[in-house]
Amino acid sequence: MDRRTFVIATGAGLVAAPALIRSAHSADKVQLLLNWYLYGEHAPFFYGKKLGLFEKEGIDLQIVEGRGSGVSLQAVGAKSAHFGHVDMSAVVRAGIRGAPVVSTGVLLQKNPAAAMSFTEKNIRTANDLKGKTVATTPGDALSQVWPAFLKKANLRDSDVRLVQGDAQTKLNAVISGQADVLLGFSHDQSMKLKDATGKSVYPIMFSDYGLNAVATGIVAHRDTLSGSPDLVRRFMRAATLSAEAAEKNASAAADAMLEADSKAGKKETLTEGFEISTKLYRVTADQRPFHTNANAVKETVDLLVEYGGVDPSAKEKLASFFTTDFLPGKATN
Amino acid sequence: MAERAQSGWSTVVRWLDAPWLKPFAMLALMIVLWDVAIWLFNVPPYLIPRPWDVVKAFGTDGPLLLRESIPTTVATLGGFLLSALFGIPIAMLIAGSRTVESYFYPLLVFSQSIPKVAIAPLFVVWFGFGLAPKVITAFLLGFFPVVVAGVQGFKALDTDMRDLARSMKCSRWQMFTMVSLPNALPAIFSGLKVSVTLAVVGAVVGEFVGSNSGIGFVLQRSIGNFELPTMFAALVLLALIGVVLFWIVDIIERFALPWHTSRRHEFVATT
Repeated sequence: MDRRTFVIATGAGLVAAPALIRSAHSADKVQLLLNWYLYGEHAPFFYGKKLGLFEKEGIDLQIVEGRGSGVSLQAVGAKSAHFGHVDMSAVVRAGIRGAPVVSTGVLLQKNPAAAMSFTEKNIRTANDLKGKTVATTPGDALSQVWPAFLKKANLRDSDVRLVQGDAQTKLNAVISGQADVLLGFSHDQSMKLKDATGKSVYPIMFSDYGLNAVATGIVAHRDTLSGSPDLVRRFMRAATLSAEAAEKNASAAADAMLEADSKAGKKETLTEGFEISTKLYRVTADQRPFHTNANAVKETVDLLVEYGGVDPSAKEKLASFFTTDFLPGKATN
Repeated sequence: MAERAQSGWSTVVRWLDAPWLKPFAMLALMIVLWDVAIWLFNVPPYLIPRPWDVVKAFGTDGPLLLRESIPTTVATLGGFLLSALFGIPIAMLIAGSRTVESYFYPLLVFSQSIPKVAIAPLFVVWFGFGLAPKVITAFLLGFFPVVVAGVQGFKALDTDMRDLARSMKCSRWQMFTMVSLPNALPAIFSGLKVSVTLAVVGAVVGEFVGSNSGIGFVLQRSIGNFELPTMFAALVLLALIGVVLFWIVDIIERFALPWHTSRRHEFVATT
């Protein structure tokens, strides 16, 4: 072996060693507990898993459906799941009560909350809601920002008639005509209404009325951040790359979701729902997925304090609700 | 002096041994265990609240909880009364006719395996957001125990008793009112007591699915807002509603069946 060959071989060995060591160890088994049953927004996680992006980071990812942001957050707080995909309002509400759960990256920088109805009903603006029956779920993320929307849209409580029920009842109420409008996510419930009836749905976006609250993203237990910072960093890197890859190929992302669970929905509406969710990923063109900023979180907390009955001390604890320390840097490709 | 002290002590012991005090003592013990468990395992308040926080929630949200308990109680009573109204006659029919039994009883058992929470959203679609869907869910949960207990009660008639009534030429009506029904009543009341507690659960399931008021509504909202003390206070109130309704049925049973074996000890002459 001449000197040149020796140098090349040593260099190659040094480069390959970490990967070899990692592959020698078994991958970290990680559970991601979603906020709800599967809908378009979740496609990146399935696509990233299919592309091997999590595996490349030494993560054996298991994606589990949730039953609401609150329950998923409690599960992460109790260390029953490593990561959760939950709404920021739940992080603040639980955080103020001492839950040791921190947002490590917000996926939806713009709020997907909307008052939606069948297009044929011609309810296009907040003013059109006057005299209409609105279906909501008590205590969910949407009912918590509803008072703020009313205020921003110059509406009073008495302008609409509320009927309240669980998530399925909301959909049933609009489908059966017992309610004109439901409060839901523009990329979730509107797709479900479309799936069930074939009719097109028009969402009145709360964000169009100046209601700027960040929404769903990844959360982890404080102990995970301090005890396994490398795992969190690897997870967030894989999740960011997954979201970026899915954005470029929405159809394949929906396919990956359906491959994992054939009952996740119809491909067309899953794709459409995911595409709508990608429009909420950033407020500036160069923003990478999950990269939120302190101002956006501050605005969310202010909103929850003013309209959502959250203790004003939340404003002082802003830094305890989120961190950007585990996110990858600017994209190099 | 010593005699007086002894008599005072025995009064205290008698008080402590009073039947009405025992459930409260048990409850107090459970609350202490609850608090100790939270302290011992360091359970955070966003997972399980401390008992004292629940007590404080009664103080702050008491009026709201009491107000919301009214629609829940109304729905429970509605469902329970329907259960009794339909359950007892159906039990009579099933017990009285082998044909009816062979056609309907298996289907009735089959229907009970269907989780009510899965079909409850449909009741809101069919009957709207008013009282009806909650009453129906309460009825569906409360109905089955009444039928099962009623069938058992009506079928448990001693053949000697039946022969005796026939030998005395009792009419069908006399046979029913004087022999069959009194014989079935203890079992029917057992069914009614189970039914009334299940009707509470049914009413709350109905409220969970679609309602603008009631304890189920409060539960759903407080879960979403992480207001666990309020949620637990609502659960305690719900349990109290169940206990009170059970107790009322028990009192009615005492008046209706003073002769029954289970009540006899209360009438044993003190000598």
